[in-house]
Amino acid sequence: MIEKLKALDATGVPLLLARLIVGFTFLYYGAEKVGDPVAFMKSLKGYEVLPLQPSWIINGLAVVLPWLEVACAAALLSGIQLRSAALLTTGMLAVFTPLVMMLGLSLIGTKPEFQGLCDVVADCGCGSGEIPVCPKLATNCGLLLLSAWVLFSRSDRFRGGL
Amino acid sequence: MSEMESPGKLPPEEGTTSSQQCRNTCSGALFLVVAAALVGLSFNAVRSEGYITLGRDYSSGTSGTVVIDPPVSESGNGGDSEPTAADQGSTDIEPDDGIQRLTFEEARDNFETAEAELRESGESIYLFVDARSRDLYEESHIPGALWLYHYESDRLIEELLPALEMAFFVIVYCNGGDCEDSLHLAADLSSLYGIPGENIYVFEGGLNEWTDNGMPVVAGSEPR
Repeated sequence: MIEKLKALDATGVPLLLARLIVGFTFLYYGAEKVGDPVAFMKSLKGYEVLPLQPSWIINGLAVVLPWLEVACAAALLSGIQLRSAALLTTGMLAVFTPLVMMLGLSLIGTKPEFQGLCDVVADCGCGSGEIPVCPKLATNCGLLLLSAWVLFSRSDRFRGGL
Repeated sequence: MSEMESPGKLPPEEGTTSSQQCRNTCSGALFLVVAAALVGLSFNAVRSEGYITLGRDYSSGTSGTVVIDPPVSESGNGGDSEPTAADQGSTDIEPDDGIQRLTFEEARDNFETAEAELRESGESIYLFVDARSRDLYEESHIPGALWLYHYESDRLIEELLPALEMAFFVIVYCNGGDCEDSLHLAADLSSLYGIPGENIYVFEGGLNEWTDNGMPVVAGSEPR
């Protein structure tokens, strides 16, 4: 199994696909948040894990995180600081995916139609407005896997600019 | 993963050790974070709409920040109508945050009184304030309501302050439901912008309850 994965990785194709998928996804959602940082700030507040005081913490994150997503996307797509960008995207996904699940769990029962986790529709601050939580979690898990692939890939093919 | 991290085996950076690669990766990540912070903060500083004031608490109103002074005489505010909103609001059982709430019936009564006053004298001591974004305001708002988006209130307040100071009943609303922006704006009106707390009310049902009850709305960027 490991040998097969190493052989697959050596082709560089999974690395290229992972860079494209994670890169364009982060570019799209990062740009959405750059366009409306206030909505992102409200979403960050909605997670109820960040301190509201001092206010510059949550305000600063709302200003900087979208640009960090765009910067990571640019790095993933250009091949410059590829592994560093993958480290950051992996980290962001590893933090926000459990938060999305916690948000979804916290909303169960708050509306009659929210009977289970997969019934919950919420704005996770991902830049896509209110969406069903379960598909979002599945998407994030997939992105996390692809991002980790970029981080740990040993392929020397498709590491440069696209 | 441990095999992938074996020293000296990563083709892209041949000749470097695992710890060097880690250092390079981490320093690159730090560079990206610093670059994103610089670009983000600079862009935020120059953008004309949707900017965030880093030091401002946008979540006020949930910790009792509204200061309600002792009642003032009506004559001091130029009012010649019955203070229905004050009476109604003060009798409600409200959360202990110092913010006075209005039910739909109270908001409707105040709106109808305001409309009658405007027809008779061209002036009213009732003023509705819409705390939602510009897009939502332009889509539909309560007739006569001023647009004062909570997250841009520091930029918008100067132009609206005279009207707010003249009004005896400032009724703030947003969408209703989970929306808390009307509460936050009500708190800021009192604590940041000097509007007397006893003049400020929040219509918690918001525009959703307003339209659900068949009340009129207008579209566009002007109050009427």
